[in-house]
Amino acid sequence: MDSANIERLLIGQHPLMHRIHSLVRKVAATDATVLIMGESGTGKELIARAVHSWSPRESGAFIPVNCGAIPAELLESELFGHEKGAFTGAVRTRPGMFSLANGGTIFLDEIGEMSAPLQVKLLRVLQERQVRPVGSDREIKIDVRVIAATNKDLGEEVRQGRFREDLYYRLHVIPLHVPSLRERRSDIPLLVEHFLAKLNLRQGNAGQSNSVRISEEAMVQLWEYDWPGNVRELENLLERLVILTDKDTIEVDSLPSNVRSFVSSRHGGVQPTLGEDGLDFNRAVEAFEDRLIGEALRRTNGNKQAAAKLLGLKRTTLVAKLRRRRSPATSDLVV
Amino acid sequence: MLIVDDQAAAREILTRKLSRESIRTVTADSGRECLKIVRSAEHVDVILLDVSMPEMDGIEVCRELAKEDRTRSIPVILLTALDDHDYQIRFQGMNLGVSEFMTKPVNWKELFTRVRGHLRSRALARQIDQTLAGLPERGGE
Repeated sequence: MDSANIERLLIGQHPLMHRIHSLVRKVAATDATVLIMGESGTGKELIARAVHSWSPRESGAFIPVNCGAIPAELLESELFGHEKGAFTGAVRTRPGMFSLANGGTIFLDEIGEMSAPLQVKLLRVLQERQVRPVGSDREIKIDVRVIAATNKDLGEEVRQGRFREDLYYRLHVIPLHVPSLRERRSDIPLLVEHFLAKLNLRQGNAGQSNSVRISEEAMVQLWEYDWPGNVRELENLLERLVILTDKDTIEVDSLPSNVRSFVSSRHGGVQPTLGEDGLDFNRAVEAFEDRLIGEALRRTNGNKQAAAKLLGLKRTTLVAKLRRRRSPATSDLVV
Repeated sequence: MLIVDDQAAAREILTRKLSRESIRTVTADSGRECLKIVRSAEHVDVILLDVSMPEMDGIEVCRELAKEDRTRSIPVILLTALDDHDYQIRFQGMNLGVSEFMTKPVNWKELFTRVRGHLRSRALARQIDQTLAGLPERGGE
């Protein structure tokens, strides 16, 4: 990903993204260790790449390592390298990721997954700026900037004794929290347009009459969805929609059912259904009554006489229904 | 947190429920009062804004908030009645930078979660400002 693309994705309109952008720019100019925290799919690696691209180390390598994806017994040799014959299968000497990143940046993703023994070795590397390959008795000096990332609450991991406190403070020099997509919801339309333009370009549709657009209503649904998988989930969904659609506009009915049902349930649009396990009929009827009674009370500013008239009920019937309600308090129906 | 609703009963219930969650609140009974408060020195982290209000409705308030840098950055949760289900009003809110849309009757648990999320984001913004202030200025640009 080039620098222009990184910048475009990082900016957003949300005040937090403006700040993160400023922070990334400023931190890039230093050689400080950065700890990026955020949910999966929020773009932690993108931010690490931005720090590298805007740093004096730009011409050096950017080496990403996913500490959670490499088996613990292999991670040490991946990171620090190994000598020929150091273990079964080590048929030749191999440099580690730290050596490959020399003069550049190493990005240690999912640092919270690192085993306790390896945490000790990493701490030594950070303190002494040299690595010892597996099976070797000599240290190799390295000049590497370290950026780590985690989707865990690393402070809590320290409190639980699963992550070393001294390593945590070594990494936590510049903390950078990346907000989830739902925390910066106002950026969703911007991101949707960005990804659609990119995907249309890739499909050869850009600027053509067959370029795929999105309807206003579908955009609203994407904006309201909570995106547990964050920006990555949004990008993957749009890619799927652009590839699979045979129309030039993505409409609400093309969106996956999980998005539609989530949005619908937030606006009281979900009707109770009789599933395999049955349903609580009285509770379902009560919920339906609550919604109508609440709406009538809101419109009449809590006036029961007027609300009963709106509902075509006698005042006494409405009052009786309100008395029978289990929870919450009657007055709460006004909001 | 600023609660904006023309109905006294709604303001009272929202204040009571949010206070119980240890969220400090101030109230405004109109869009104009809301704008007066946010343009004053009063520190507001989140605005909970009813859409249907006489004179100046919630969308109009958002339009005014979007005009100024300082007020544009305050997260707005728009509260709308059940019969405002039409997406058009949400589309307008989305384009004006509204953070959330919630339909009445309010799901309290969801409201508290969302308010806390915005309060966390505002605290995070302040933390980043502190970190930025502690870093040396970049040279060369």
